[in-house]
Amino acid sequence: MRLFEYEAKEIFRRFDIPVPNGAIASSPDEVNLAVGKVGLPVAIKAQVLVGGRGKAGGIKSADSLEEAVERVEELMSKKIRGHVVRRVLIEEKLDVKHEYYLGVTIDQLSGKPVVMFSTEGGVDIETIVEKKPESLASKKVSVSRGLFQFEARDICQQLGLHGSLLLKASNILHSLYNVFNQYDAMIAEINPLIVTKEDKIYAVGAVLEIDDNALFRHRGIKLNLSERVEDEIKREAIQQGLSYVKLDGDIGVIGSGAGLAMTTIDLIKDFGGKPANFLETGGGITEQLMEGAVELVLKDRRLRALVINLYGGINPMPAAAKGIVKAYEKLRPKIPILVKVIGNQQEEAWGMLESAGIPVVKEIQTEVAVRKLMNILGE
Amino acid sequence: MCILVNEKTQIIVQGITGGVGSIQTKLMLDYGSKIVAGVTPGKGGTPVHGVPVYDTVKATVSEHPAEASILFIPASFIKDAAVEAIDSDIKFLVIITEHIPVHDTAYIREQAEAVGARAIGPTTPGIICPGKTKIGIMPASVFMEGDVGIISRSGTLLYEIAGNLTLAGIGQSACVGIGADPVVGTDMIDILRLFEEDEHTKLVAIVGEIGGVEEEEAAKFIGKMTKPVVAYIAGRVAPPGERMGHAGAIILRGRGTAQSKIDILRRAGVKIANRPSDVVSLVKTCL
Repeated sequence: MRLFEYEAKEIFRRFDIPVPNGAIASSPDEVNLAVGKVGLPVAIKAQVLVGGRGKAGGIKSADSLEEAVERVEELMSKKIRGHVVRRVLIEEKLDVKHEYYLGVTIDQLSGKPVVMFSTEGGVDIETIVEKKPESLASKKVSVSRGLFQFEARDICQQLGLHGSLLLKASNILHSLYNVFNQYDAMIAEINPLIVTKEDKIYAVGAVLEIDDNALFRHRGIKLNLSERVEDEIKREAIQQGLSYVKLDGDIGVIGSGAGLAMTTIDLIKDFGGKPANFLETGGGITEQLMEGAVELVLKDRRLRALVINLYGGINPMPAAAKGIVKAYEKLRPKIPILVKVIGNQQEEAWGMLESAGIPVVKEIQTEVAVRKLMNILGE
Repeated sequence: MCILVNEKTQIIVQGITGGVGSIQTKLMLDYGSKIVAGVTPGKGGTPVHGVPVYDTVKATVSEHPAEASILFIPASFIKDAAVEAIDSDIKFLVIITEHIPVHDTAYIREQAEAVGARAIGPTTPGIICPGKTKIGIMPASVFMEGDVGIISRSGTLLYEIAGNLTLAGIGQSACVGIGADPVVGTDMIDILRLFEEDEHTKLVAIVGEIGGVEEEEAAKFIGKMTKPVVAYIAGRVAPPGERMGHAGAIILRGRGTAQSKIDILRRAGVKIANRPSDVVSLVKTCL
């Protein structure tokens, strides 16, 4: 789960990471209060959960209260990369002398967290690091040992930091690792960390994404799915424990595993069709989950057909079939539906689907199912 | 033969009394897997399908020495259960559980590596050596004994590819699901090494998918392999995900897409299947 910048900064502040003086606002009254608290001039930052916000015009500044109100209205009336702006973060505007980059994420290959520090912070950090690899220092961290402060100092010193800046920056890097660790983060990032002309240091950009699978031990964090997920179908999918991605076609896809659903999509495209979505149930199929999945995908008005592709290894297929039949009889969809079921008690599942009048594919190959569907659609 | 395990491997089941654990224990016993005992804290003394059940792994292994454990444990308890197995000197763990926090998987991997144990998964269907043993949840009917080794990141796609091969009369030496979580216990390259050394495996089929850099890393080893490798990569149509922050991009450097995997594997000499059924024709031309 991604946190908004202002939420991430709340947490950073609690870990003694200095963040600019700021306040959130979504109305002129709140802008007034925020500017009063922060002082002019201000930076105004749209709170959206998408990267590339600055380049998309999501960050403004203002020298007067009137201008601030105007800029906020402007930001809130538009979408940033398809994301509605529900509130802005108003912060003191700082004079930047230098920008640094700090990040912690999981290195998938070693399975260890990796702590990164760069002297070339800013929006183009990844291209700069590509061109100037010497501007980045990083270290893989043992999860059972954690990151020591001296290790953070080593990292910063590698890039030439010294004196009080070395201490301040490495303390922040150390704190950032602690945030990452304690919040089960997938990524914790400060970009940029700025040094002002007065040699003060602030985390100006903040990113924190928490592992969805670890939310059970972070109950203090408000889910607020309606604010975090724009697409309504996707939001419902998350609530039901399904993984859903909207695509731009018209053939609905449900698969009992991510790989199988991906292959189904690839094959639809290969055979000249256009997939409308990716939906994966995972290994916990129940009658209710399947019913919910079918209902959810059928909510998409663009659909011309639906293909359901299930392998029962751990998943009981009769329960899946029951769920499909239930949704089918409730909604009576006018579009063709095709179900491929293989594995765990397949015969029983086939019988249930066939007696409900739902066409079943009994072959192992997904290609057979997709080809049949394309034939039905006359393509 | 087989890699990692064989027909003699003695297995314990952690979480044996749960709904899934109990059914899958029965299916593994039916297949001939040597399940010697089960563990469920608080349920010791109640046998499941004739398998004795204990409260702790330590008590289990003192009565029934075992090399492997398969875990049907809820995600929130998996770290505890996996470390319990590692501490009791179990050297091979099959972690079926889905939705495990990445930090927990990282911890388990580190603990296993420290003592020379190996975990496969999480989110794996497990491992099957057709005709010999299965430590996993895969439907046995789609596999048959033979000499193709399969490594898959996806469970369901493993069944699809193995099923396609079996239908064509091509059997498998071993099929290993390594899982597709951001962190996994065992990497693709580790399994490739084992297949390269296994005298009964003639060819390796890789079933990959978008995300991560497993396939890209595997390509480095494939260049040195003597055995032919074919690959099918799912997710060519997947749109790039919305991204926050830069850390992922700095590490990945353009890798992780289906196309990047296909290109890198092809350069390493791997034959690429465009569709699952192409795996069959490619295997036929190589064998």
